[in-house]
Amino acid sequence: MVAPATPGLIDREDLVAALDRAATRRVTTISAPAGSGKTSLLRAWAARAGRGPVVLVQVPRGQPDAQAFWLSVQGALHGARAPSGGAPAPVGTPEFDGDAMVERVLAELADLTNAGGEVTVILDDLHELGPPEASAQLRHLLGDLPPGVHAIVATRRDLRLGLHRMRLDGELGELRATDLQFTDPEVRRMLAAAGIRLSDAGVARLRQRTEGWAAGLRLAVISLTGDPDPERFVADFSGTDRTVAEYLLAEMLERQPADVQQVLLRTSILERVNGELADLLTGRPGAERVLLDLEDANAFVVSLDPARTWFRYHHLFADLLRLELRHTLPEQVPALHRGAAEWFVEHGQIAEAVRHTQAAGDWDAAARLLADHAFSLTLDGQAQTIEALLLAFPPGASVHRADLAIAQAASDLAQGRLDQAADYLTLAENHVATTPLERRSRRRVAIASVKVSLARRRGSLTGVREQVDVLTGPMSRQSNDDLALSTDLRAAALMNLGIVEAWSTGTPEAERHLREGAELARENGRPYLEVACLAQLAFASKIHSFATTRRLCHEAIALAERYGWGGEPIVAPALLTLAVAMAWTGEFAASAQWLDRTERALRSDTGPGIGLLRHIGTGMLHAGRGDLLRALEEFGAAEHLRAQLEGSHALASQVTGWLIATQARLGTTGQARSTLGELDDERAQSGEVQNARVAISLAEGDPAAALLAVTPVLDGSAPVVGYLTVIEAHLLAAVAHRELGDHRAANQAAETALALAEPDRVILPFVTTAAGDVLEALPRHETAHAALVNDILDVVHGTAVAPPEPDSADTEHLSPTELKVLRYLPTNLSRPEIADELSVSVNTVNTHIRNIYAKLHSGDRSTAVRRARQQRLLGAGRPR
Amino acid sequence: MSAMEAVPVPYVIEINGHLGATVLAAFPGVTSHRRESHTVLVGLLDHSALHGLLAQVDALGLELLELRRFAPDAGLDREAGLDG
Repeated sequence: MVAPATPGLIDREDLVAALDRAATRRVTTISAPAGSGKTSLLRAWAARAGRGPVVLVQVPRGQPDAQAFWLSVQGALHGARAPSGGAPAPVGTPEFDGDAMVERVLAELADLTNAGGEVTVILDDLHELGPPEASAQLRHLLGDLPPGVHAIVATRRDLRLGLHRMRLDGELGELRATDLQFTDPEVRRMLAAAGIRLSDAGVARLRQRTEGWAAGLRLAVISLTGDPDPERFVADFSGTDRTVAEYLLAEMLERQPADVQQVLLRTSILERVNGELADLLTGRPGAERVLLDLEDANAFVVSLDPARTWFRYHHLFADLLRLELRHTLPEQVPALHRGAAEWFVEHGQIAEAVRHTQAAGDWDAAARLLADHAFSLTLDGQAQTIEALLLAFPPGASVHRADLAIAQAASDLAQGRLDQAADYLTLAENHVATTPLERRSRRRVAIASVKVSLARRRGSLTGVREQVDVLTGPMSRQSNDDLALSTDLRAAALMNLGIVEAWSTGTPEAERHLREGAELARENGRPYLEVACLAQLAFASKIHSFATTRRLCHEAIALAERYGWGGEPIVAPALLTLAVAMAWTGEFAASAQWLDRTERALRSDTGPGIGLLRHIGTGMLHAGRGDLLRALEEFGAAEHLRAQLEGSHALASQVTGWLIATQARLGTTGQARSTLGELDDERAQSGEVQNARVAISLAEGDPAAALLAVTPVLDGSAPVVGYLTVIEAHLLAAVAHRELGDHRAANQAAETALALAEPDRVILPFVTTAAGDVLEALPRHETAHAALVNDILDVVHGTAVAPPEPDSADTEHLSPTELKVLRYLPTNLSRPEIADELSVSVNTVNTHIRNIYAKLHSGDRSTAVRRARQQRLLGAGRPR
Repeated sequence: MSAMEAVPVPYVIEINGHLGATVLAAFPGVTSHRRESHTVLVGLLDHSALHGLLAQVDALGLELLELRRFAPDAGLDREAGLDG
């Protein structure tokens, strides 16, 4: 091959300097045709740049996947930050949010500039980036670059990157084809560097014939190396009308030894090549040496890693070689693709394997491969890659081939198109009966694996159970080949099962399944599944102590953060469970912070299950802080979501109970009773709803009825979500006893509640049931929980009366009629409607409301309600 | 321009230099002939076929000189002449 002494690039100092000047702007575009020397220029500049870290991203040919692109950006960023590694390599996720990813990249870039002054991000071959949404994300990135960060973008075509504003502001640097053309002196230096002697006229002729086109000159130099008569070569070249690239490629190939020709032609079908793969395709060893020599000679081969094990050809060069291969060895092409496909299957690179199987024209095999791995590909976040592969099949193939229908369903599901996924699954099932026997069970497993996620997304426990049965059947009989596949499937099946169990029934099996799922995922190197299982496990563990729950939440969040998913939807169950746990223990400020984080993580598709929990958590926080109006709003929203769920929800009775109790505490007992009346028997008899009945009776001033209502919860005959409901019941009983004047019984009930609350230091129910007064009256020497009582009273006083408000002593007492009107203010009844309810004129109501506002120092209805509540003019426990 | 052609329309694409058999294989479905130092490709192309062809021209580093819709009165005999 070309003499190893042949130096690589000549130093195009003027051009590098031009780029250096351009790159002081925020964004620089290098826009020039294939083979203009963009990549070489970038590499030469990057090698010399003294301007802080360089983050170099090479977009692979026809990149169909936005997530894969951004992961490569992140990977390059981590490389620039800590070259030795440390953080795990970025891993794809099924729930990709491009804009959130851009924000993360921007934040990491800002970090990097803090450490090292200036940073340059180079995006090479950007025209290869396919998905339209990726363009929008790029505009976002380029538009929001932090100070000190520069971007250089190399592309064959002008891209719509929204840079007009920057151009006007002088923040855009541009290099175009004419800037990249070689000049005569540069051609002369290039030849000299390769030891080629050519007259000045010859140099000028070569430059004119190639029009200073870098790829043409490079091919010419490789051909000329060792040529005894370079003048003649140039004369022949100039005398022909053949296109530059084709002529020079043929000349160059002809001058190579046979083994080099074979490596070049046969491996040209690959996007990336290594020695082993090249040996396989050429059928003999030694290819790696050839590749290394080619790179050293700067012959369109570039290594992709510092260890120089993977290489890629320059795209133009590869395209020409492929055409040459098709021309000279047409009968070999399918076999080469098949060979490559096998190697990629063995090495787990399925997308690449499918591409080569398609290129070999083996459509059936390609479809099988895609269907068998569609599920794992979606776990890797490669739904867009599946889409691109599906498009490469003959039109309409998804309808006629069961395997493609399965792959289509998996991809649809991963992208949130549930109905379409269901349609394709039905289509695939129609084909199963006509499937050859040896293939049938594989296909059933593939269908079931998609169906199980679909059922979980729809919250259908029975649907998930059915599919898990299908999956656990044939999977036990699978051969070794399918082992990895089945591990993925089993981990995901366990996760889906655990999730629906946790959310629909809250059974202990949920925890077991999620724990097993997490273990399998960890063993199988699936961090995304592992985080998902652990985050759900944190929620499922709510039946244990808060200490356990908190630990599990923190573990899930920590693992998610290691992979950069701390703000992703998968970790939301852990964030939210932590917020709820802290609301229970009266740590309202911390709880509010975790809720904020949850809301940011749930920005995209939430699903009614977790949305419901979010409203409950927010409602609890408001209730704990004494803002019953906003608590009511949240519980109402939760109840609304609950009604939309296909199956049951583990916290359904909790939602309903708190909604009714809050209505009652706001004084709208009629509304509370009517909500109660609409419940089905099962929920109506739950302990949570029973507690709400107690709250209504207390609000109605009927403590005796309250005591009667609380009995089923206290004696255990009413089913409860957890012991927290029982604590609440004891506190409600305490309040009722006190109102009846039975202080002994009140103290006793409070003491029982304290004993139950002590291990977890539960505080919230004491606040919401307004049991603070009972605790105040509780003789300290009679309680075994004095410290907890102090904590509770701190919360009661610290938060319920948090902002300095006019003391109740400053407000004039409301008249009994005004109090009556006041009770209607928290409702959404209008003034005429209130007048109707009270059988008085609107004018009278107006007068009362004016007086109420004045006495409560408030200018509007909601402020009046808040003040009234702070002064306990509303709700339970107010003596009449 | 109503270029979103679903129905294929004849196009004439002129490229600088003579394309050999190897590179012409990259343009299936069009016929070619040489005119002076250029290559003329003629084919019935719908919208995406046209853009695919242009992308191929771009990828192979070829120089596009001219692209036009085939005008019937310009003389079919001359344009669609024998394969060069």
